[in-house]
Amino acid sequence: MLADVAFDIPAGEILGIIGPNGAGKTTLLEVLAGILPADASDVQWLGRPLPPSRRRETMFYLPDGVRPYQDQPVSRVLSFFAGAYRRSVDETTGTIEAVGLTPVLHKRVHSLSKGYGRRLMLALGLLTPHPLLLMDEPFDGFDLRQTREIVGVLRKEVTKGRTLALAIHQLLDAERVCDRFILLADGHVRGVGTLKDLRARTGLTNANLEDIFLALT
Amino acid sequence: MRSPETFHLQNAPLLPLLVKELWEILSGRALWTMLLLMCPLVGYSFFQAVSLYGEASAAGLQSPVLANSLSPLDGILVPTLGASYVAVTLLFPFVAIRVLGLEKESGALRLLVQMPYHPSTLIAAKLVAVVAAWVLSSIPAFSALAMWRLFGGHLSAPETLNLLFGHLLYGSLVGAIALFAASVSESAATAAIVTLAFTIGSWVLDFTVAGHPGLLEWVASLSLTQVLRTFEQGLLSLRLVAGIGAAMCGFAALATVWLPPGIDVRNKLVRSIVCVLAAAIVFGLATQIRLSIDVTEDQRNSFPVADQHALASLVRPLVVTVHLAPEDPRYVDLQRNVLAKLERVLPNMSVGLAGGRQSVATNAGDDRYGEVEYNYGGRSDISRSTSPREILPVLYGLAGASRPAPAPGGDYPGYPLIVRAEVALLWFFGGLPLCIALVWWRSRRLPINYRKPTKEAQP
Repeated sequence: MLADVAFDIPAGEILGIIGPNGAGKTTLLEVLAGILPADASDVQWLGRPLPPSRRRETMFYLPDGVRPYQDQPVSRVLSFFAGAYRRSVDETTGTIEAVGLTPVLHKRVHSLSKGYGRRLMLALGLLTPHPLLLMDEPFDGFDLRQTREIVGVLRKEVTKGRTLALAIHQLLDAERVCDRFILLADGHVRGVGTLKDLRARTGLTNANLEDIFLALT
Repeated sequence: MRSPETFHLQNAPLLPLLVKELWEILSGRALWTMLLLMCPLVGYSFFQAVSLYGEASAAGLQSPVLANSLSPLDGILVPTLGASYVAVTLLFPFVAIRVLGLEKESGALRLLVQMPYHPSTLIAAKLVAVVAAWVLSSIPAFSALAMWRLFGGHLSAPETLNLLFGHLLYGSLVGAIALFAASVSESAATAAIVTLAFTIGSWVLDFTVAGHPGLLEWVASLSLTQVLRTFEQGLLSLRLVAGIGAAMCGFAALATVWLPPGIDVRNKLVRSIVCVLAAAIVFGLATQIRLSIDVTEDQRNSFPVADQHALASLVRPLVVTVHLAPEDPRYVDLQRNVLAKLERVLPNMSVGLAGGRQSVATNAGDDRYGEVEYNYGGRSDISRSTSPREILPVLYGLAGASRPAPAPGGDYPGYPLIVRAEVALLWFFGGLPLCIALVWWRSRRLPINYRKPTKEAQP
């Protein structure tokens, strides 16, 4: 259960929603995206209220652990998203190459490895035109080299004007990619800010995110 | 930063969604398995129908009187498509549920509901895919009809198209129920149970309460199996079509209400009640439609043409009071031979059962039992007949009109045909399943040397 969670996301930022398993990261993202009903919630976009029914006009949520359309080849799933969002062939090809899906385009989704499954989800997210992209555990299934590669892809996406909110339970990954952090534990916000802000708040001048999280929770 | 109005729902192209839905239903084993099972089922029914029709034709060829009772509608079409109906009732729900159930189970629905399509558009696209699946699953039935023509058999286009339309409506209704079930259920297995509760529950209704008077009769009339009976009799009833349409739209609307995961249950329940009420109102209005078209070649649902014209001119109310129990075979005869035909041609007619829920047993000592009273323009007459030959003169007498002279010609010739249908067994047990298996295998092949997505779904 989430309670008293309030934060803002500046444009062009990568926000990390950090917390252990069960902290409420996924619930928070799903409530934000409007696919989980909340007892009370208020989301504002550019200062205007954004009801759940209109959230999909501004944000797209990539859930964790989803393998969509498992009987279809990867190329067909990508074609569906590209067609729905009127993406050109060049844009689609660029996305496929950026996330490294080319070798498995002809494979069925159910036969993909965990890493390629994650790349497919990332590609689907990148094909959407929403200003805000919400991603649940985007680095789950990647090794260090692959994580760095995907961090580069996400950074590039931010330079195009997109804003990203990533729910991550691996603190090292989060520290590597995020500009700002929301530390969640037991459904409550324990801290919000950049690494520098959080260090100042905890008084741990050279601490990493792990130390700060332990200090605040 | 991009503005919140970056894109709108109405801008999303429908073609990629439809293509995706069709691929989804083609990729599943359920449709192909059903098709393979239907081949012997439909094929054997067709073989039996042709054999029985041939035996009846042997007598028909000796006598024109016997020949004119040989109608391919009753002899071939209804039994062959009847096998298709059984398969649609028992197997089609599993095909239809797949178009939504798999997305719910895999989590893909959480992506789909965020895409730029209204939930009603998503359900409509899935319903289109379900109808396409019905068309594919009817291939054995279509091939049976083609084989009948190859044998030299007669098919009346209006009769055939009307019956196929009835089966299409039935399949679409089962599909809409399956979508609703998949929408409210967490798993495909639960959805299948819910859908089968509707389809097989209809059979139970037919067996247990059909033929009983009053409320039970009304309940029995809601059975899904009733959908096809009118079409099998060669009638295109606008009341029935509108009623099925209302029911389909109702189930589709309920599926739309329960599709989005981000709405709380109480809100969904309120919306569901609104949908049910709206569908009930449309359903109620549909029952007021009296227009039906007799599409049979022998015009079995109508009086002779001259009588039809003469009866249509009787504009005053005709009140018929029947002193028979509904389960009495004489009432069934009267209903089929006279009352149903009168209701189609007379603009202002009402039929009532004297004594309401009477039964044969309780009325054994009633002298009036068996009488049918006709009241027209303040005059009344009584008959015990169930034949139009005796009843129509009664009506003309009440209206002060003379019975029209019968129009010459136009007698139904009947279409006797003796043919050996063993080749049909070879086709339905060998050739057709092989063709279907080949197409299935072909559809499962993956694209080779894929380098970029196809443009099939690109704008």
